[in-house]
Amino acid sequence: MAEQPLISLRGLTREYRMDAETVYALRGIELAIGTNEYVAIMGPSGSGKSTLMNVIGCLDTPTRGEYWLNGTEVSRMSDDELARVRNREIGFVFQTFNLLPRATALHNVELPLIYAGTSARERRRAASRALERVGLADRMHHRPNELSGGQRQRVAIARALVNDPSILLADEPTGNLDSVTSQEIMAVFGELHTQGQTVLMVTHEADIAAHAHRVVTLLDGVVHSDSVREAA
Amino acid sequence: MTSLFEGVGIALSSLRANKARAALTILGVAIGVMVVMVIGSMITGINRGVEDIFNQLGPRTFFVFRYFQAGIQVSDGSDEMSPWRRNPPLTVAEAERIRQLESIGFIVVDEGSSADVEYGNRQLESVPVRGRGPQWVQVGGGDIAPGRSFTSVESAASARVAVVNEKLASELFALLDPIGKRIKIAGVPYQVVGVFIPPPDIFGEGNRPEVVIPHNTFEKHVPYWRGWMDFLVSPSPDASVQDAIDDVTGSLRAARGLRPAEENTFSIVTQDKLLDSWNQVTGMFFLVMIALSSVGLMVGGVGVVAIMMISVTERTREIGVRKALGARRREILWQFLVEAATLTVIGGAIGMLVGGLISLGVATFTPLPAKVPLISVVAALGMSALTGIAFGLYPAARAARLDPVEALRHE
Repeated sequence: MAEQPLISLRGLTREYRMDAETVYALRGIELAIGTNEYVAIMGPSGSGKSTLMNVIGCLDTPTRGEYWLNGTEVSRMSDDELARVRNREIGFVFQTFNLLPRATALHNVELPLIYAGTSARERRRAASRALERVGLADRMHHRPNELSGGQRQRVAIARALVNDPSILLADEPTGNLDSVTSQEIMAVFGELHTQGQTVLMVTHEADIAAHAHRVVTLLDGVVHSDSVREAA
Repeated sequence: MTSLFEGVGIALSSLRANKARAALTILGVAIGVMVVMVIGSMITGINRGVEDIFNQLGPRTFFVFRYFQAGIQVSDGSDEMSPWRRNPPLTVAEAERIRQLESIGFIVVDEGSSADVEYGNRQLESVPVRGRGPQWVQVGGGDIAPGRSFTSVESAASARVAVVNEKLASELFALLDPIGKRIKIAGVPYQVVGVFIPPPDIFGEGNRPEVVIPHNTFEKHVPYWRGWMDFLVSPSPDASVQDAIDDVTGSLRAARGLRPAEENTFSIVTQDKLLDSWNQVTGMFFLVMIALSSVGLMVGGVGVVAIMMISVTERTREIGVRKALGARRREILWQFLVEAATLTVIGGAIGMLVGGLISLGVATFTPLPAKVPLISVVAALGMSALTGIAFGLYPAARAARLDPVEALRHE
């Protein structure tokens, strides 16, 4: 591969010290993910997929090994530098949506732009556009408790997209949704991928993982299998 | 930086969510600020009143006292603790000497006592009686209407004429015309020649009956505690205050035969000096009150710590989300500091409002011209914001240091 991968993990290790014991969550992950890939990370609980997600999302730093994102080594960055990277390069979608309950959909989507230092007017425009992209143009001024689960997750996706990130990082995005709504949300991800978005998704449901074009399975903190499906 | 408005908005909505807790915190700060405001306005009022009095005296008038010391004096009766015993009383002869000086415009002797005043079968007990030189109205301010003050001739002849103040006139004569009425002071008959309207003053002296008679008459007919005569001195228009003071000092020292090494056996006090000593007293008072009211702010501050700790714990997940979306430590810190400061500034504003109303009430219903000085508005708001920031710092720093992974996992 001549082109540099978007994400490159080399010998990535993450240990937790609990009293005298050392717990290995990740034991030397080797993984490369290119631009516009649609990857599902699977594995049983305790396999390290959440830790991997946190490290890729720059919420956590590896104990050893290297993490290159977009040609920059982020594994040794300070807290504030990591916050910058999260703000610019990564869009999070959580299982429990994690919207601010007292803020409107529009304000929730504006949040990343506030931390990016975008002007109020530009913020409003970009947030409205992102909400339109996920089909919520008519729900901008609703609060999360006035929205359905699927709508909330769409708001969260809009929030993840608003900064035009390199990676869309989804952690069990359909875990709190019924099957019909799950299909809707997966359709949104598929659409975004078609538009060129790199999508990385953690899930333990095989039928959700089936939407991805590449499935990486973790077991006991190492990559167990890595299979690329031919485009359907 | 997160916008200030957003921080204030978040703060207000979290206040709505925890009304009782917020109210207690706000109350503490409000009481502290209110005390500062009320005390500040009263001291400003008192000072204004004092300055008014001095302004009416004419800014150049100064006093000669037998003894004067700034501040509050305590005496146990011993010579050691009663330094005025070294000083002989001021005398009329000394006043006459001073009157001859070129730099002196006029001088008024002033001596006081109290006596019973009668009119017909009406009697008022222990009315303050002052014996003064004929020019006392020019020096002391105020006005005589109706009627007149006593003349130099009456003064020299120890005439039994009296000027009563408005209060005494209304108590003694009710609606009758006071001029020409015959009254008795300490059992001696006098004729009322004028009604004195005192300059407005904050100590409410105008509300007490008072009578002024010529000093010579006073010495002859009124029982009094001898030895405490004062002089009020006005420099002549073309002499400076300092020249006049120097001349008075020289004249009195010569009259008393003091040698150059000896200290003055009298006190000359300018209005500046009186104001200074006054300001010293009110300054101390102010400091004590500030200390007391900062206790109120402290109580509010402890409340701020408590409510903010709860706020941080309750919103751990929100902090995690904000960090995931790119908030840096200082942005989280800022958010919670703004929230804490909003809380205390609301308290400060309420305290200011209540304090302002109380001051207004004082100014309306008492003679004290209480006025809220601009500086104390600024200080009150500043202090309450500072309290919020100081006491909000610890909870805010805790929020800023939260690990995003842990925070997102928090239920």
